[in-house]
Amino acid sequence: MVLVNAVRDYINRILQDISGMKILILDSATVSIVSVAYSQSELLQKEVFLVEFVDSISMSKEPMSHLKAVYFLRPTSENIQLMRRQLAKPRFGEYHLFFSNMLKDTQLHILADSDEHEIVRQVQEFFADFVALDPFHFTLNIASNQMYMLPAVVDPSSLLHFCERVVDGIAALFLALKRRPIIRYSRTSDISKRIAQEAAKLMYQQESGLFDFRRTEVTPLLLVIDRRDDPVTPLLNQWTYQAMVHELIGIQDNKVDLRNTGKFPKDQQEVVLSSEQDAFFKANMYENFGDIGMNIKRMVDDFQQIAKSNQNIQTVDDMAKFVDNYPQYRKMHGNVSKHVTLVTEMSKIVEERKLMLVSEVEQELACNGGQGAAFEAVTNLLNNDSVSDIDRLRLVMLYALRYEKESPVQLMQLFNKLASRSPKYKPGLVQFLLKQAGVDKRTGDLYGNRDLLNIARNMARGLKGVENVYTQHQPLLFHIMESITKGRLRDVDYPFVGNHFQQGRLQEVVIFIVGGTTYEESRAVALQNTTNSGIRFILGGSAVLNSKRFLKDLEEAQRIARTTTGLV
Amino acid sequence: MATRNRTILFRKYRDALKSVRIPAGGGSLPSPSSSSSGGGPVIELSTTSLLHPNRAYTPLSTEDPGTSSRGAVTVGLPPAWVDVSEEIAANVQRVRAKMAELAKAHAKALMPSFGDGKEDQRRIESLTQEITDLLRKSEKKLQRLSQGGPSEDSNVRKNVQRSLATDLQSLSVELRKKQSTYLKRLQQQKEGPDGVDLEMNLNGSHSRQFEDDFDDLGFNEHQMARLKKSEAFTAEREREIQQVVESVNELAQIMKDLSVLVIDQGTIVDRIDYNIQNVAASVEEGLKQLQKAERTQKQGGMVMCATVLVIMCFIMLVLLILKTILHI
Repeated sequence: MVLVNAVRDYINRILQDISGMKILILDSATVSIVSVAYSQSELLQKEVFLVEFVDSISMSKEPMSHLKAVYFLRPTSENIQLMRRQLAKPRFGEYHLFFSNMLKDTQLHILADSDEHEIVRQVQEFFADFVALDPFHFTLNIASNQMYMLPAVVDPSSLLHFCERVVDGIAALFLALKRRPIIRYSRTSDISKRIAQEAAKLMYQQESGLFDFRRTEVTPLLLVIDRRDDPVTPLLNQWTYQAMVHELIGIQDNKVDLRNTGKFPKDQQEVVLSSEQDAFFKANMYENFGDIGMNIKRMVDDFQQIAKSNQNIQTVDDMAKFVDNYPQYRKMHGNVSKHVTLVTEMSKIVEERKLMLVSEVEQELACNGGQGAAFEAVTNLLNNDSVSDIDRLRLVMLYALRYEKESPVQLMQLFNKLASRSPKYKPGLVQFLLKQAGVDKRTGDLYGNRDLLNIARNMARGLKGVENVYTQHQPLLFHIMESITKGRLRDVDYPFVGNHFQQGRLQEVVIFIVGGTTYEESRAVALQNTTNSGIRFILGGSAVLNSKRFLKDLEEAQRIARTTTGLV
Repeated sequence: MATRNRTILFRKYRDALKSVRIPAGGGSLPSPSSSSSGGGPVIELSTTSLLHPNRAYTPLSTEDPGTSSRGAVTVGLPPAWVDVSEEIAANVQRVRAKMAELAKAHAKALMPSFGDGKEDQRRIESLTQEITDLLRKSEKKLQRLSQGGPSEDSNVRKNVQRSLATDLQSLSVELRKKQSTYLKRLQQQKEGPDGVDLEMNLNGSHSRQFEDDFDDLGFNEHQMARLKKSEAFTAEREREIQQVVESVNELAQIMKDLSVLVIDQGTIVDRIDYNIQNVAASVEEGLKQLQKAERTQKQGGMVMCATVLVIMCFIMLVLLILKTILHI
């Protein structure tokens, strides 16, 4: 609840002091921030009767001076320019400006200059600059996410833009939580080091007044790590509800868009999957596919009972009861149809792409040993015609990440087979991935085969057998969280920034993955938080990845790298 | 939850920049800023142009000088529908107050009393009637709210409508719940004495069977009296139930009409980003439709047909004239 409540509090405070009819004006980033935390009906209760984009075409229409304008924008230069124009030709009675992050002095000057009519009543900074998807999971929805993979020389201005956005988002999170953390980062990753150092500079030097909170408890830890330390998790197919929906269909800001995946009735084309508003989803979002099927069947049966009892209406009493319960009935009906549609759609996709077969091999590649068997399994699937191109690519990538150094001949064979089977995906992409996230580049022990203790643990697990073949993978994040809980996060792998040091026990940890998080990892964090380890974990990233998005970022980065080296 | 207020710094900058700006624009504005009507600025413009003969071009806008001194964009008069929405909001407040009174009246009527309770009944009836009337009137006004007007305003109006509809619906639901609990408790209470009566009747009929042969007349009379009393009770209870049922039906009708307007929570329609995109999309759609309509009208097959026919008519007319001329 922590993150969503923080954003809700901010929005409540924005709206409560302004009386009368209001119009709320957002930009494309803040609309995501507000939509996941606040609903339209709540806005209507607060007398906000219109919501518009700051750059929409209808902004030049007639004046509505009986409305008070509340702007909630990110402090970017584009927004400031748009504000200039709108302040010069005001449409509304009063203007209240709220920015989701710190304004630079020049920007404040520009605004003051353009306010010739003196209609601006207040200018405030309310630090809700992150999208709070789940109670302990946030994202920054950065479009140019692929920049983290490229060295600074390739495109310094875009990388700077990326880093600034990340640092701003992290700063806003800590201001919303009213904490100032000590910072650690992943040793082998230049970008996480850069972000960690810039965040430290911002919080301890540049704006130290703003971050100077009372030290009531132990200071929290901010751990900045790189996606490339664990490239396996975004490539895997998922079998728990929320992660599976995102992997097979795609969730954006807690909304699922079904328009491209088939014909659906109008009210099921776009659906909302939010743990706050949907009790069934909240109970089932981390359950695996088999259990979900059973729970949905139970829900459908319950619903059918109610529907049947609604149909024999005989007395006036029954009629009255029916009309009383109608809103509930309608809501339940909508909810049941939504989940049934989603699960049906996903079953269809699993069937088409033979994902059970593919996923079994993926999990083997990710978790267990046996290079020979792995090679055979991958070759068989590559030869299988019903496996789609993207799945073939993923299999080869997973194999390459694991058996990079063993038997390069067989690896080449796989590359050739991939190239012949799926001309769309060049094997160069796999090699690019290895260059980015190969075993030399990674911090931490992704496969648990560097440390003797880990090898022993793996062997024990292999002997014991595993409950569910499809969900046996644990992301690297899980092991990192375990180490933090036990206080054994190695300084060598995750050094402190500057002269920070850890005093006392930790109670709050924010982990930021540069390059994006996955829903599998957010599930691990949520489950970790339910154990009473005394530490609360919060997870955030520059985007929320599924295999499609991760591959797209890789392709984009490869293309940019190639064009710039071509120029040079 | 940390925030930072930049208003003071902003005002400081604004004042500083204002004092930099005004001397450049001509410092001859001693007029009180309240004169933002049409006549004032025109006169001032001419004085400025006289005072600054070097200025070749003086823009002739009616809002220029006065605005920089004080917020001259006064809050204009809101459109007419805002009054309607305010009336409805006032009605909602009145309904809330009356519901509180109704709750008290219900409680009083349910308490055992020595009197007949007819006054309480009448008061309850009148209150319920008033509330239902207010709700119905508000609902009718609400329907009127959505008609007519320019497109820019219509989204605001639609949202105002939605919020008022939600309020009205929740009030109707509350009223019905109150009524049904009152009714239930009323039935229970009335059944109390009737239940006893029933029992006695049973006993009476039981003993009647035994003593039927002996005391026919006596028991019949006693029984008739009791029968009449229970009939009266039943009739009255039925009447009350009938009234409540009527108001329940009215409310059901209102709720049905309102439920189309109210947003279902937790669905896609309740998402701000969905609504904001629909606004943009519908305006664009509207534009596209207008353009398409214009194009089809111009290309109008109809227009072409009509022109062709007219030409044919003319040709035929000419041929006819020629024929008559040739014949003569």
